[in-house]
Amino acid sequence: MINELLLQFGQWMEAQQYSQMLVAGYYSYSWLEATHVLTLMISIGSLFIIDFRMLGWILPNVSASTIADRLHKPMMIGFAIMFITGFLLVYAKPVETIQSLWFRIKMVLLVLAFINAWVFNARMKAADGNWGNGSVAPRNLRGGAILSLVIWCGVVTMGRYIPYDWVDCDKTQNSTILWAAGCVDQLKAL
Amino acid sequence: MFNTILSQYKATLTVFLVLLVIVGLEVLQVRAAIYPSLLPAFEWLKNSTPLGYIGTTYGSIYATVQAMHLLAMGTLGGLVLTTDLRLLGVMFRSTPSEVISNGTHKAFKVALIVAVLTGIFCAAGVADKVYYMPVFWVKMLALTAGAAFVFLVKQPLLNSKPHSEINPWIIRGMAITSILVWFTVAASGRWIGFS
Amino acid sequence: MSDDKKIGDKELAAISVSVILFGGLVFHWVAELISTLDLLELAYGTVKLFNNPLVF
Repeated sequence: MINELLLQFGQWMEAQQYSQMLVAGYYSYSWLEATHVLTLMISIGSLFIIDFRMLGWILPNVSASTIADRLHKPMMIGFAIMFITGFLLVYAKPVETIQSLWFRIKMVLLVLAFINAWVFNARMKAADGNWGNGSVAPRNLRGGAILSLVIWCGVVTMGRYIPYDWVDCDKTQNSTILWAAGCVDQLKAL
Repeated sequence: MFNTILSQYKATLTVFLVLLVIVGLEVLQVRAAIYPSLLPAFEWLKNSTPLGYIGTTYGSIYATVQAMHLLAMGTLGGLVLTTDLRLLGVMFRSTPSEVISNGTHKAFKVALIVAVLTGIFCAAGVADKVYYMPVFWVKMLALTAGAAFVFLVKQPLLNSKPHSEINPWIIRGMAITSILVWFTVAASGRWIGFS
Repeated sequence: MSDDKKIGDKELAAISVSVILFGGLVFHWVAELISTLDLLELAYGTVKLFNNPLVF
């Protein structure tokens, strides 16, 4: 039922004039994709530095709360650009993306990443002042940092897989994959 | 007097000597002469090495290594921005710039090594294609220039004395150049992906 | 200039390399911008970023 709704939504988006313009333009889709990928350096770059600091791998002489504080703004700006360009990329090729298994896994991982960040922030506020200048964070913050690194590596990897057609709707007969990727028509035909 | 200049300005004279050599090589068209002889090496990389074999046969491994390349590049970008924006006085103003530039240099080296190794794997899988792409050679040039700049010029100067004793315009100049060089490496890399 | 910020050998080398490298990169990007605009004009007859006259 959700898959049907998502497919209808995708087909509706595909019919929009701006969606078609983005794909048809000479450079538009490429620039959108390039901006999305290059902004990784700002968003993931800032995030990884904060996580590496929590694990004591980098800048051990700088207070971790200072690093998290200062890098928060560039990180948020980076993520804002990632979301806007990411949405536009979906908008440009909606059906293809919505029916991509890798895209769906990426969205799930993104939700997990944000839950982790929420919990991590709460724990940081609670621990603040007690360890800020130590070179390695307390265990629960370290766990959050490692989880964050793993999840975001997963997000980037899934993003890299999206353009590949290994398990596209018309390339696989596996009913689990077809269901997970929301290939409604192909699942009905099986 | 000449001997005094030679001994006092070794680094500067080395820079201009290297520049002279590069210009000389270009004028004598050495690059154009060497280029055809590189093709066999690229074809060997793709067709005869395990790297090339794995890259061309197993698309999923290739894509995963590409993702690792992206992650290393992302880390590199974060480190470059942190260090250079501090040198420009935009971020982390309450922390001494020596602490930031020293504290990130080791991670920078690790990220660069990972990026280069994964980059070699990615290039090996499409070696016969990238050989003919000007944008690939631009990336290699920018990468070499960037690495040489960081390890032979920027970091030695920043490590040689407290940053307050270095002319601030020189520090800003190095920071802006560093940001632009690494952005060029990343952007040309994306361009390769489009070609 | 005060003594402690004088431009010594390493500083001179650093600023020379920075200027040359920065100049080269700016030249490269300006050239790319020009060739991109040329291509867009060729494709559309004028510089349009997102429209494709063939579709609409």
